[in-house]
Amino acid sequence: MEIQEAIMNYSKEAGSQHGQEPSGQNAGVTGDDREARILIRCDKVNFFYGQSQALHGISLEIPEKQVTAFIGPSGCGKSTLLRCFNRMNDLIDDAKVGGGTIKIHGVDIYDPKVDVIELRKRVGMVFQKSNPFPKSIYENICFGLRIAGMNDKSVLDEVVEKSLRGAALWEEVKDRLHDSALGLSGGQQQRLCIARAIAVRPEIILMDEPCSALDPIATAKVEELIHELKKEYTIVIVTHNMQQAGRCSDLTAFFYLGHLIEMDVTEKIFTNPKEKQTEDYITGRFG
Amino acid sequence: MNAASKQQSIEDALLKSKKFRLFGLNADDIIKHFFAGNATIAIVVLALITVFLFREGIEFFPKHYESLRLYRWAGMEFVDYLKHESTDLSALNRMTNLMKRQESEVLRMKGLSQAQIAERLAPLDAFAAKFSEVPDGLNGLVADLTEIPVGILDRHKMCVNAQSHKTLLIRMGKIAEANAVKVDVIDFGKETAILKTFLPQCTEIHAKIKQDIVGLMSAIPDFESAEARATSLLFKKLALKFTDGIPVTEKKMAEWNPGEPIHFYRALTDFIFGSRWVTQSFWYDFYGVVPLFVGSFMISLLAMILAVPFGVGAAIYVNQMASKCEQNMIKPYIEFISAIPSVVLGFFGIAILGESVRWLTQQSCLSWVPFFPISERLNIFTAGCLLALMAVPTIFSLAEDAINNVPKAYKEASLALGANKLQTVVRIIVPTALSGIVAAVLLGFGRVIGETMVVLLVAGNRISIPDFTAGIGVFFQPAHTMTGLIAQEMGEVVRGSLQYRALFMVGILLFFISLFINYMAQKIVTKYRISAG
Ligand SMILES: Nc1ncnc2c1ncn2[C@@H]1O[C@H](COP(=O)(O)OP(=O)(O)OP(=O)(O)O)[C@@H](O)[C@H]1O
Ligand SMILES: [Mg+2]
Repeated sequence: MEIQEAIMNYSKEAGSQHGQEPSGQNAGVTGDDREARILIRCDKVNFFYGQSQALHGISLEIPEKQVTAFIGPSGCGKSTLLRCFNRMNDLIDDAKVGGGTIKIHGVDIYDPKVDVIELRKRVGMVFQKSNPFPKSIYENICFGLRIAGMNDKSVLDEVVEKSLRGAALWEEVKDRLHDSALGLSGGQQQRLCIARAIAVRPEIILMDEPCSALDPIATAKVEELIHELKKEYTIVIVTHNMQQAGRCSDLTAFFYLGHLIEMDVTEKIFTNPKEKQTEDYITGRFG
Repeated sequence: MNAASKQQSIEDALLKSKKFRLFGLNADDIIKHFFAGNATIAIVVLALITVFLFREGIEFFPKHYESLRLYRWAGMEFVDYLKHESTDLSALNRMTNLMKRQESEVLRMKGLSQAQIAERLAPLDAFAAKFSEVPDGLNGLVADLTEIPVGILDRHKMCVNAQSHKTLLIRMGKIAEANAVKVDVIDFGKETAILKTFLPQCTEIHAKIKQDIVGLMSAIPDFESAEARATSLLFKKLALKFTDGIPVTEKKMAEWNPGEPIHFYRALTDFIFGSRWVTQSFWYDFYGVVPLFVGSFMISLLAMILAVPFGVGAAIYVNQMASKCEQNMIKPYIEFISAIPSVVLGFFGIAILGESVRWLTQQSCLSWVPFFPISERLNIFTAGCLLALMAVPTIFSLAEDAINNVPKAYKEASLALGANKLQTVVRIIVPTALSGIVAAVLLGFGRVIGETMVVLLVAGNRISIPDFTAGIGVFFQPAHTMTGLIAQEMGEVVRGSLQYRALFMVGILLFFISLFINYMAQKIVTKYRISAG
């Protein structure tokens, strides 16, 4: 027990250095991923929409500062699980977690004492369909800060620039920050949404098929961006694109009909999966 | 199946000429013509209504012009100069009563007995009595002078009647009889000359009034109550203003010339900017729409001030915060309000709202509120409240639609960034739906300004511009509205008379106001559609 804790502490420190040392991070991916600190821990999570059960006993662990990809056929519950992490499912009537726990930093996020607002500030989300507010680019980025009560112009300016640079959008929009965000192209809008999410400096960014509406070039940009963001953020991404999962994730989880079939280092999943179902899905021989 | 018969069956399916037909039209054409016909009928009916409205209303202008000219020719204008002074003086007289009331109130509060109060008020009584004698001479003169224009007008009317009788006879071919009818022509200049002979007498009276007033100013006793003292200061100011105005009036009277032409545009401007609406009086009918417009406007304004927060607030609540069950309860309930007939609402307004508001304002614990207690049970406030009740469903339904049209993705994005419900509503939902909400409010306003029954029943129907010096108390005065007036007077008016035309003009004005409001609403809605798309 004590040893385990010590390892955890050690990996915590190591994790915090990962940002500066890419080599250390590579070790985490290729070697034993236990070394990285676990940020999200699901334990036998069941999820219900009314009477119908969408998730069946999901147990998985998501390590810090890595990219975890969720793959699986349509309707298998990837989005549902993702939306459990920031409790967006609370918005849906009758939807509830029935049994099991989801812990972030060891805190059960479905505990009634948990402040949902605070949780959502720490767990940002990028949606499948880009959804910038019908406001200016500048105001879109500022929104998260303004609602937190920050109105200092110099701070806002700085954050806007930093976030847009972080989302690789700064060069394209720096001359029209005060134009409507709805005037951007689809790919730019999606990157704006990413910029908006990182402006509040969350720890985790959830992305639900962020590239499904984008062309290959915009997709490449977003993937590159994910690669950059990995240095500072923990990313969970849902995707239908096998190549994408292979290119940009460290870990991959395969879901089928609400069950977690297999989760492992991405390389292993794509080259040598344990389960037959996984192999069939990845090779396209599915169903 | 061989190739030829297959070809045949495809042709049968594709060529519509072989299908069902009626009068050479197929089903699609019939449906198209049916709807086109409906649309045409709607447009034609609307056009007919508009044309009728304008045809009836437009003749108001020549008639009004004629009436304005007679007003001057017959010397009514001249007499009205003096009448104005007379009404001003009676208003001043009423102020002395007010002072008395305020003072005795304070004395009573201090616990003085009735006799003591009477004793304390004795100097004020003496002053009031003296002041009430001031206008005596003027009133006598006005009474004498009033006879003159009335007489002139009577004779003029007789002449006009004789003339029309004669034309009628001629048209019927009875030339001899027609020649027998004698038609006088009234020389207004000569007839009104007599008015000017009263000028010296008038000057005399004026001098006396001035002397009296200036003399009495120093006789205003001092007051115990601050209110009465304020009133007395105002009284002094107004009295001095009155005496200052005397030379101006005299100058106007001396310069008055019955032959001076009246511009035709006055037929319009006197209607739109005229501050008096007086009909079927023995003296002169004024058709100034301002009191009605102000009444309508203030009642609508109050109704909107009350209805907008309720309607929009309920819409936000129902759409964004309420549970499914609450939604299913509240929505039909609010929409049900619009099913209550306005007459029934009127009953409620008179019997319950008006009564209880008055009762409430009469409570002694509320007497510190400046304009309490209110004296009128039926007033702008009562009407405004009921109209607000009628506007809430309209505003609610449309605003709810607008809010519902805000993409759910915005809400999700906002919440995912850590905004709470209130922040999401205030910063995202409402701004996005704003133009829809504004359109809802404008349509509610249109409904309110066009409403008749309720205002007729509960607005108090006093045709005068409310006294804005009363502050917020202005909302507790009775008023009349454009719609209410039309409903009230249309029944008893002579068809084709000036008053009849005037009512149509009021109708046209209403029509334009509604048109304008609807146009604005439409414009905003179109803009809204683009921005949300
Ligand atoms: N709001 C909802 N109400 C009821 N059932 C829902 C709701 N959303 C999703 N479901 C059901 O839950 C199951 C999982 O849905 P989910 O959206 O998580 O699938 P997914 O893996 O994200 O699929 P996709 O790849 O198509 O996005 C599906 O069977 C779906 O029908
Ligand atoms: Mg999904």
